[in-house]
Amino acid sequence: MELIDIINIVLENKGRAILLTVKPNDDLRNDLGLDSLDLAELTVRIESEFDIDIFENGLVKTVGEIQDKLGK
Amino acid sequence: MSKVFYRDLTTGQSTSYVELLKDLTSATHYNLYCRSKDYYVVFKSIVLSLLLNQEIILLDDDLSQEEVESQVGKIQNSEVLISEVDRVFLSRILTLDELFENITKSQKNWRITLFTSGTTGIPKMISHDFTSITRSVKQTNKHTSSVWGFAYNSTHMAGIQVFFQALLNKNTIVKLFKLGREEILKEINDNKITHISATPTFYRLLLPVDQVCPSVERLTSGGERFDRKVFESLSRMFPNASIVNVYASTEAGTVFASDGDTFSVKPNFKNLVKFENDELYLHKTIMGSSNTIQLQQNEWYATGDLIQIISKDPIRFIFISRKNEMINVGGYKVNPGEVEDVLKMIDGIKQVRVYGKKNSLLGNIICADILRTNSEITELDIRAVLQNKIQDFKIPRVIKFVESIETTRTGKIKRN
Repeated sequence: MELIDIINIVLENKGRAILLTVKPNDDLRNDLGLDSLDLAELTVRIESEFDIDIFENGLVKTVGEIQDKLGK
Repeated sequence: MSKVFYRDLTTGQSTSYVELLKDLTSATHYNLYCRSKDYYVVFKSIVLSLLLNQEIILLDDDLSQEEVESQVGKIQNSEVLISEVDRVFLSRILTLDELFENITKSQKNWRITLFTSGTTGIPKMISHDFTSITRSVKQTNKHTSSVWGFAYNSTHMAGIQVFFQALLNKNTIVKLFKLGREEILKEINDNKITHISATPTFYRLLLPVDQVCPSVERLTSGGERFDRKVFESLSRMFPNASIVNVYASTEAGTVFASDGDTFSVKPNFKNLVKFENDELYLHKTIMGSSNTIQLQQNEWYATGDLIQIISKDPIRFIFISRKNEMINVGGYKVNPGEVEDVLKMIDGIKQVRVYGKKNSLLGNIICADILRTNSEITELDIRAVLQNKIQDFKIPRVIKFVESIETTRTGKIKRN
């Protein structure tokens, strides 16, 4: 599963339209509209897919920062 | 220019104390129940109830109709016309000094009732009178220049305590709750906020340290434990602030405060606190009143908080965990049993287990294992149903469909 698929699961779960693309500059809160509960859900889902806790060493703000943590 | 009472970036609202006074003295209606997304409406309603010496019941704005009615029964149209006598009384309050004099006059009938997810998980009503709700308010000349960042729900105990602390010192309240990180930091610096009280989750979301907020003098946190790393980062972000942990509950308000992890009992509470089997007990005189509070020997309330004593005289202790199974999600307490009950009411679901999973952002996140009888029911369907039934933070964010759910020997669902 790709990062965008995981983001889309979170968006779909809260009844929002899915995204066709994401850009590294996309802000998780401001552009994707995720609140802190959504971010926590995203963390758990990414962790179960990639075994990496993206928030372990502080806050991530953008899609690109997640991609960095996942080494992509 | 008159001092700002309340400022809300999301609505662009900035209301001065003089405008508050005007709104209060021209009020025509009063409502026993207060439920509004607009914090100003909540705050104004509380002050109005004080002036009228009437009870006020605060309801969370995000509660569904079902949840509200399960707590207070059917709400009839509770808005009433303010009596002629009271309207004349209100219209004669001409200055802010008179307003505050009337707010703090003896409030014989006044009660404020709010709800807690509390120790049982079933929301329970807790009422406080003016003395008990303002017990922890500090009023000195030093506090008159404080500017408060408001980072709680306006209908919750923590929010109400911040509100009274600010109101009784005529401070400005700046809403920070539900703002984005950049907006919060901008509001803090633009308004020169001096005091913030919030959950550790709120503070965690302010990191990383890429700017400083020199105006802040004091950061208070409660609800869940602060880890070292966050504490250190915050000290850099707020270089002039002292960082304080408080122990507070809807039942008792603020009882202890500490620096770091270790709590001590304030001298005037010394005989009103006891420890038994590592559990913290509070005396009934520091509790609000409620029919649902169970007291031991008619006197002591078991908080369900397990503690470890560090030193005996004076007594110092740290909090270890909750005695029961409540899951702490970003400072909000979730009773897994309550969520399980709602899930089990959905057609096609046979058995469920709700549990917390550790999460670096919120402390815990709610997860559910579900045993279906209808294999077509999806996570999406379930989430959609729950959206209208329970508050957002109680909804399981990860649902796993399983073949069986482990139970204990007594038939209870096994919890980790």
